[in-house]
Amino acid sequence: MAWRRFRRNKSGLIGSAIVIFFILVALVGPYLVAYPPRSYQSLYEGDAGDPPSFKHPFGVEISGIDVFSETVDSTRNDLYVGLTATLITTLIGVAIGAVAGYFKGAVSDILLGVTQMFFVVPVLLLILLFARVFSVLVFKGLGLTLIVLILSFFGWSGIAFIVRGETLRLKETEFVQAARSLGARPIRLLFRHIVPNILSPVIVIATLDIAGFILTEVVVSFLGFGDPNTSTWGLLLNEGFPYVRTTWWVALFPGLAVVFCVLGFNLMGDGLSDALNPRLRE
Amino acid sequence: MIPVFLGVAILTFFVGNAAGNPIDLIRAGLRNPSPAVLKALQSYYHLDQPVWMRFLYWLWDLNHGNLGVSISGRPVLSQIGPWTFTTLELQILSLVLAVAIGIPIGVFSAKHQYSKVDYTITTVAIFGYSMPTFWLGIMLIIVFSFYLGWLPSNGAVSVSYPWWGSWVLDPIAHLILPTAVLTYVSLATIVRLVRANMLEVLRQDYILAARASGLSERTVTYRYALRNAISPVVTIIGLGFGAALAGAPALETTFSWPGLGYAFTQAALALDIPLVQGITIVITVMVLVANLVTDLVYAVLDPRVTVQ
Amino acid sequence: MDGKLLEILNLRTYFFTEAGVVKALDGVLLEIDKGESVGLVGESGSGKSVTAQSVLRIVPRPGRIVGGSVKFEGEELLTKNEDEMRKLRGPKMAIVFQDPTTSLNPLYTVEKQLTDILMLHRDLSREDASKQALHLLDRVGIQDPERRLKAYPHELSGGMKQRIAIARALSCDPVLLFADEPTTNLDVTIQAQVLELLKQLQKELNMTMVMITHDMGIIADMTERVTVLYAGKVMEVAATPTLFKSPKHPYTEALLKAIPSVKQTRTLEVIPGNIPNLIEPPTGCVFHPRCKYAKDVCVKKEPELEKVTVGHFAACHFWRELELEGKRD
Repeated sequence: MAWRRFRRNKSGLIGSAIVIFFILVALVGPYLVAYPPRSYQSLYEGDAGDPPSFKHPFGVEISGIDVFSETVDSTRNDLYVGLTATLITTLIGVAIGAVAGYFKGAVSDILLGVTQMFFVVPVLLLILLFARVFSVLVFKGLGLTLIVLILSFFGWSGIAFIVRGETLRLKETEFVQAARSLGARPIRLLFRHIVPNILSPVIVIATLDIAGFILTEVVVSFLGFGDPNTSTWGLLLNEGFPYVRTTWWVALFPGLAVVFCVLGFNLMGDGLSDALNPRLRE
Repeated sequence: MIPVFLGVAILTFFVGNAAGNPIDLIRAGLRNPSPAVLKALQSYYHLDQPVWMRFLYWLWDLNHGNLGVSISGRPVLSQIGPWTFTTLELQILSLVLAVAIGIPIGVFSAKHQYSKVDYTITTVAIFGYSMPTFWLGIMLIIVFSFYLGWLPSNGAVSVSYPWWGSWVLDPIAHLILPTAVLTYVSLATIVRLVRANMLEVLRQDYILAARASGLSERTVTYRYALRNAISPVVTIIGLGFGAALAGAPALETTFSWPGLGYAFTQAALALDIPLVQGITIVITVMVLVANLVTDLVYAVLDPRVTVQ
Repeated sequence: MDGKLLEILNLRTYFFTEAGVVKALDGVLLEIDKGESVGLVGESGSGKSVTAQSVLRIVPRPGRIVGGSVKFEGEELLTKNEDEMRKLRGPKMAIVFQDPTTSLNPLYTVEKQLTDILMLHRDLSREDASKQALHLLDRVGIQDPERRLKAYPHELSGGMKQRIAIARALSCDPVLLFADEPTTNLDVTIQAQVLELLKQLQKELNMTMVMITHDMGIIADMTERVTVLYAGKVMEVAATPTLFKSPKHPYTEALLKAIPSVKQTRTLEVIPGNIPNLIEPPTGCVFHPRCKYAKDVCVKKEPELEKVTVGHFAACHFWRELELEGKRD
């Protein structure tokens, strides 16, 4: 039934189409492009620093990296970051939020306080700090996964808040009271009754979170705190920025890819929000 | 609020420490300070003490307004002043513009839901918060600085020759592009939020009742509907300020804007931990203050809320 | 005054939603004399509230009045512009809404909400308006009006809030008052008080009142004449005693049977089925899917509102033949 509403939402459908397009590119693209990831081959072909052309649809970096191939190759990695970070933060957020909302007392208060702290704090700064420190000195081999872990460590508070709010609200509803009066234990209550009912807002937030995490990754890589060995859109922007006066295409195309990918998830999230929200029934 | 502050302090300090103590870093060839500076730093940081002792020393110093000494040898506090001003200049100007422009647009969009103008506004807005702020900055630089030459592309002020021939107009010229970028992105969120809340409020019975009492459209829209819709927007503005502040590194780097964000990025890359810690603390304090102000404003606007 | 106070003819109000066009009102007829107390009864979704909104022309989006005529004091309302309508809303006609929790603005004090209206229509200063507001609160039976005036809605009980909503509606002495389910959201004990208040005020002010409700009990108690609405169309119109004693439409009979009675012990009869989909309403008589007397012609042809006797109309093909059961108490 909500599916029918979603189908009617034009922007939601456009967003989903965009997302599917990017997923396809991520899955199949790397096999179809002319140059392997992080390859300087074009340098040897004498094409370094060339503007867009048939051979190099997005142009070539000064260093000889083909922008089109790199952009396509990065799709997979950026989606990896977005989807994985969202998955982890959703799990953490739901768990913490549900527990904080359902139980009363010290545990709940502490969880609430911790959630608040992670929510209010300028998280990007800490992400950058952690990324720099850990990548240089500790976990050298992890690459993008390190970024995913750091993003996940800092990114669960939004979902936790919403889940906590919904849990509090649902706790007082009649069907939960009914289940309790029939002797259901808290864990069962939580998972059988409450969690299925908070799925709708969680799905919406998760979709929008994917967009957010991709944007964050782009910023992190752009500033040079990401993994220099893995193709990401942010890395492309980082490489292109110093030479943007002459090779502006290096900054333009990966950026456009980010915009459309994030746009896709945002539109899809909005469409889901409209479809899943019980609105006015005329 | 204090626990939040402490939490951030703990995180910053201990992770900073994981980077190794400053002396080792310095010795690792990241910097080449003189032996005198080395010695000063060594005693200053009580490097002979265990980690948690150092943390307490650091907090004590913070309490007394002492933000430590950066690897370069200069005290952190002396540099933070000008940086803070430069960052706030940009952030506050953009915030004010975004709110002043965004609220009327959001109201207009909500009142004319489903119209072509509404769709246009919504589309422009959704593009706005789907793009990395700094990337828009780069694009504008390409067009307005490199291609057209109308506006400067870096710094807050010029070094040798003032833009537009005047030292008074020069800072303004530098402000235009970064402000435009930040304002647009903030605008996008505000418009979206105001529109959504207004739509919600306009559906309420008390709006219908107000119309049934013969009140004019303008009164109903602004004195009744907007007033009711604005409270959550205020909260989001407060949070948004924090978010924009945290996003300063990328935007300031793009424009070489000498603010806290730019300084943070350079410091973090160089693993200048004291500086990083100092800037983080300052930004955190600013965000906390912004949130406090937001909470107070919210309480004033909504009589149902009591201040704790 | 010659002629009726309110004459609604063939009123059609549709809602243009994403799911389709909802025909909330599809040919409504209503006539009210000055000073009458009239009832508009039907289930939820029958279009009762939309009728009131249509008269005041405040139908919310995506609704729109698409046809018909609404004459108030002899003048056609549907051709008036917004400014002219605004002058009528409050001084001439008003609505009391169902849920006082949502019909009062939570952010403003009672005083502000009342004085805004008084200052607009009566051209009073703020002090004079406040005094008038105090007087209004007194009139609707609120104790300690000075304190209540300065209060916010969330600080007041349901009954008090509804009294204030009534005060707001009456603030400019309207000639016509629509009471849209005014007691549905209130406690049973408070319901009686509010209804008493409305009855009393109507008499005092010689107001014409339209009582919109789904509760036949309230109809019996408060109204002289009744119009029965179903799925946006009029099913029956009659004087209240007549409607109860000898209904001529199966829907009316069913409504009456659904009232629990203290005197008789019998099983409550529920009307089977649900209100119809207003985007694609049933063909012919709109009630036929739930009518136990329905025949072939009911599916094919829409019945017209036919005159049974003076002041009594029914929209049923078989009103002459059917022996319908009324209520004797």
